[in-house]
Amino acid sequence: MKIALRELRRRPARFVTATVILTLVAVLVMFLGGLLDGLVRGATGALRAQDADVIVYSDTARSTFARSRVEADTRAAVEAVPGVARTGGIGLVQLGARVPGNGPRELAATALFGYELAPTRVPEPPAPGEVYADDVLRADGIEVGMEILLGPARSPVTVIGFVSDVSYSGQGSLWAEPGTWRDVVGANRPDVELPDDAFQALVVQADEGVDVQRLAEEIDDATGTTESLTTAEAIEEIPGVRAQRSTFNQIIGVTIAIAGVVVALFFALLTVERLSLYGVLKALGARSSTLFAGLVAQAVVVTAVASAVAGGLALLIDALIGPGSIPLDISGSRVLTSAALLLVAAVVGCAFSLRRVLRVDPAAAIGTGS
Amino acid sequence: MFLALKEMRRAWVRFVLLIAAIGLLVFLILFQQGLQSGLLTSFVGAIRNQSAPVLVYSVDGQRVLQGSVITPDLEQIVRATPDIAEIGYIGQGTFTVTADGEPADATIIGYEREGVGSPRDLTAGRLAEQPGEAVASEADAEDGFDVGDTVVVEPGGLELTVVGLAPDAQLSVTPTLFVGYDTYLAAVAARNPGGGDPLPNALAVVPDEGTTPAAAVAAINAGSDDLDALTRAQAADRSPGVAQVRQSFQIIFLLYGLVVPLVTGLFFLIVTIQKAGALTLLRAIGAPAGRLVSALLVQVVIIVGLGLVLGTALYYPLTSFGATSLSLRFDVGVVLVWSALLMALGLASSLIAARRVLAIDPVVAATAAGAGR
Amino acid sequence: MSTTQDDTFEASDSAGTALRLRGVRKVYPVAGEEVVALDHADLEVAADEIVALVGPSGSGKTTLCSIAGGLLTTTAGDVVVGGEDISGYSPKQLTRFRQDKVGFVFQSVNLVPFLTARENLLVVDELGPRTGSAARTRADQLLDELGLADRARNLPAQLSGGQRQRVAIGRALMNDPDLVLFDEPTSALDTHLGEQVMELIRREMKDRGTAAVVVTHDDRMTHYCDRVVHIVDGRISA
Repeated sequence: MKIALRELRRRPARFVTATVILTLVAVLVMFLGGLLDGLVRGATGALRAQDADVIVYSDTARSTFARSRVEADTRAAVEAVPGVARTGGIGLVQLGARVPGNGPRELAATALFGYELAPTRVPEPPAPGEVYADDVLRADGIEVGMEILLGPARSPVTVIGFVSDVSYSGQGSLWAEPGTWRDVVGANRPDVELPDDAFQALVVQADEGVDVQRLAEEIDDATGTTESLTTAEAIEEIPGVRAQRSTFNQIIGVTIAIAGVVVALFFALLTVERLSLYGVLKALGARSSTLFAGLVAQAVVVTAVASAVAGGLALLIDALIGPGSIPLDISGSRVLTSAALLLVAAVVGCAFSLRRVLRVDPAAAIGTGS
Repeated sequence: MFLALKEMRRAWVRFVLLIAAIGLLVFLILFQQGLQSGLLTSFVGAIRNQSAPVLVYSVDGQRVLQGSVITPDLEQIVRATPDIAEIGYIGQGTFTVTADGEPADATIIGYEREGVGSPRDLTAGRLAEQPGEAVASEADAEDGFDVGDTVVVEPGGLELTVVGLAPDAQLSVTPTLFVGYDTYLAAVAARNPGGGDPLPNALAVVPDEGTTPAAAVAAINAGSDDLDALTRAQAADRSPGVAQVRQSFQIIFLLYGLVVPLVTGLFFLIVTIQKAGALTLLRAIGAPAGRLVSALLVQVVIIVGLGLVLGTALYYPLTSFGATSLSLRFDVGVVLVWSALLMALGLASSLIAARRVLAIDPVVAATAAGAGR
Repeated sequence: MSTTQDDTFEASDSAGTALRLRGVRKVYPVAGEEVVALDHADLEVAADEIVALVGPSGSGKTTLCSIAGGLLTTTAGDVVVGGEDISGYSPKQLTRFRQDKVGFVFQSVNLVPFLTARENLLVVDELGPRTGSAARTRADQLLDELGLADRARNLPAQLSGGQRQRVAIGRALMNDPDLVLFDEPTSALDTHLGEQVMELIRREMKDRGTAAVVVTHDDRMTHYCDRVVHIVDGRISA
């Protein structure tokens, strides 16, 4: 093993090829992963932030806010279910916002939430007419203290602060107390209008130690008109999330396989170059397992270096791409998982050279035969 | 040719690995190309393939039918614009429906007349002529949206009968039903009784003969800052998210596209260096340099070619069986373009190795201690 | 014969024979026929003897060397090295045997090109007993004796042919073997240098009382050896 590492240090040039290609492949893997994470983050922020165990929609809503409606009596039934600690109403309306300083056709896409129970990253509901804004909306020119006009009715709301990681379906969110939300809905979307005590959905906090899966079922049994999901399930149901995850993971998987093939290929070439060296070492008493372990060690180092460089490049790309263009979110954990998977692929790729190493005949190291 | 093939047969493992690497890369490129087209088609296919050359949204709609509302004043302004032949309402809503016995999401688009917002092409059946008839997006035919199927709008129970299928006609990745405007109003009413008729979401506009859609767009937009008129292509391309999808994929294709020539070029360079002794010997016994270079290029063509075949063969089944919720299309034109591009890149990258071959000096063979005795 | 491997840094065995080949046959199947590389070879090398093995190419001298060094198994016959009967050894046992009991100086590709002279000596310890600092001390000692103390940190590419050969000899002696096998040690060197290397070999072998078999076809060098054994077509003549 020491010999193999020393070869790496003394003869780096012969490992450059594999390292360069692996770096590129690693950047791809991390970029794709970052895209996936960015897309999912942007779609699910608002729900992930909810400090709740169960989300209650109406059963014809197919787990989306837009078509859901929970009346006061349904809410009372939910609150009566044992295990329910608190409920909060929540509603959503998606409107374009006119921002001072932007052109007449440049609207900011926003999702206005009316809420009662504060999500983890958001303060308690503000005063009427005020909103907290998702910080991705900074890219649209929104600032603290600014009054923005929502929807065709130009409903005014004042931004009193920013919150982060609360986006919904790729849009920046605004958080207002329920009355403000109702006013905006009424003025802009009369077809969606709800009576004062109805919301689109409920967020439910469960008592300590309650099985939230069972609780969701019990709520539906009690009301007969709702579809309740655990928060985790609700997040998965957001349109696009599941499909994006599976598609991206398939692509990432195949790309990692390519990394394995690259390692297999270039280390096979290296092995051929070193056959006589292996012969001499075997003649001196090296076991095949020692030689192979050295080869694997080299592949691991090469892949680790490639992953490190790629990680740096990926984080740089992430920093350079501003919020608002491509939804990219390359986190440290994404870099590390990518590196780990690539390392596994590299070790598997080495297996292609195993037979060759095993077959090296030390007797061939003596002279030129005969 | 002889040299090229003999060597590949002798050291077949490395060449198979290279073909595997290229094949997987080609597969991913084709897959993602299909994904990109599929995504864009599934999101805005309905917009691209409806018949009106111009669509007018309200600015507040942000180029999404759902959020756009055309008030009577805005309608008046559009109707007052000169050089317009026809104007029709477009209404759109997302509904819960029962199709094939199962609940599903569906988008219903209502239009007033043929040619003013109706689907452009049909692959089966006909356009809706009676109330309650619908043309469905072809991609969803198997899920209960085929010609002859009945789809029930919930709540309310309004029944729609599918009488035709349109290709690439989805909106926002949901099954889409094109119906007459009255049928659309009936669906809204069934879901929300007592709610009153909604305003149209957009206007479909057909310019006069001799007026281009672009000119019509400019004229309409000049009428009010609250109007957002777009040609059909613009309406599709400027839908939210489309630009992002395109940009993301561009970066992805660039990176994948780089890997192929890198792997090919570096592989052949290393192999050429490893073969230096044999090549020198061949030159010494009289093989022309050009013959050795062409042997190299022949190998590149064979390897990249087989890689392309492998990648295409891996991709093709996905287009029939589908690995994702999107339907992927096998577009021969796209395959050919990528094949030509990757082959060219592969050949270009192997020129480094070719230069190495040409630089070999046969004199070295006579003086080298090659035999080692 | 029993195998006693506990005395690693002692020289000869109790019987006083470093190598005994008896009735050794090596047959290769080549394209359906049988090629006899060694035919009933008998050879005995005493514990401190240097034997020259001379023969034309194709005579089987390399095969004999490989068998004596535990690199090849025999088709028939006994091989006893330093009191250890390796005739029926498995490849794993042979590997251990090579680590402990023999040293090799190959004709070509002797040294690991990316290791310094000192590291090339330490390779033997790396692969085998792993004695750490004991090996380092020994390596420095050997390099000093071989006149290479100031070249310890040089890579093979930075050494002359003669210096490389000396490093290879040092490596062959690292594990204090019972038998060192030299394959054409002077064929790549001019007469003067070749003589220097043979003198060095003789001195080192005699000083330690280590046996050696020197395969060579170079008549100028045979007088440095105690005895010359001829081999032709796989058969040994005295």
